[in-house]
Amino acid sequence: MVPVGACLGLSAVLFAIGLIGFLARRNIILMLVSVEIMLNSVNVSLAAFSQHLGDARGQVMALFVIAVAAGEAAIGLGLVLALSRNKQGVNVEDVTRLKW
Amino acid sequence: MSTAGLVIFYYLAAASITSAILAITRHKPIHSLLWVLALFLHVAGIFLLMGAEFLAAVQVIVYAGAILVFYLFFLMLLDLPSEAAAPRFSAHWPLSVVAGVAFATLIWYARDIPAALVPAAAGGPSSGNVATVGKSLFTEFAVPFEIVSLVLLSAIVGAVVMAKRKTEP
Repeated sequence: MVPVGACLGLSAVLFAIGLIGFLARRNIILMLVSVEIMLNSVNVSLAAFSQHLGDARGQVMALFVIAVAAGEAAIGLGLVLALSRNKQGVNVEDVTRLKW
Repeated sequence: MSTAGLVIFYYLAAASITSAILAITRHKPIHSLLWVLALFLHVAGIFLLMGAEFLAAVQVIVYAGAILVFYLFFLMLLDLPSEAAAPRFSAHWPLSVVAGVAFATLIWYARDIPAALVPAAAGGPSSGNVATVGKSLFTEFAVPFEIVSLVLLSAIVGAVVMAKRKTEP
């Protein structure tokens, strides 16, 4: 068995990297990819708890997270496509119409 | 766990963290996505090590095979030549790094609490086989499973509607 504490530490570090990527990158597509990294780190946590408790339900929950991540990718990239039709480039700093 | 297993786990963890850092810092979006691919494959290895075989297979097929290829297709079809020259990070990136490091530090000090509160199950990793997950998915979680299919359907329809719309700039 993998020690659950080490898995949770790995999950925390991966989540923080995804968080930094989401907050710091300017490209919207890479911000969406950072969200995928965060969702994946949560899956590591769920699998670690599933193994620690000897219960398969954590893995089922991780499957649902993967399904939601797929939906998020489809919707997010559809939004980026609609945005890139109306504006040049995909930088978040150019998208300020709803900001103030 | 055996020493060899621990060595493999720490290799996979170090490789995952390195790929993730490279993924969010590379200049070209394609390079970032390829590093994310490396990250997903290493995480699939970690799932295998934890006895979650089905999750590892789904990780490779859905995440690395479908979602990431979708991102790559999208990036190549959208063709953004100005992106490579533009700065990678926004002006407030040090604040983002501070927020991320603070978050990781907080969780890092809490990571041993679950193991201390709840003792490990005697069964161990045997719970992760495909039959157990499948039985749980189609009996106990049958209704959430159907709802997830509706979520995916609405996501597909929403993406098509969003991408089809033609608006005047």
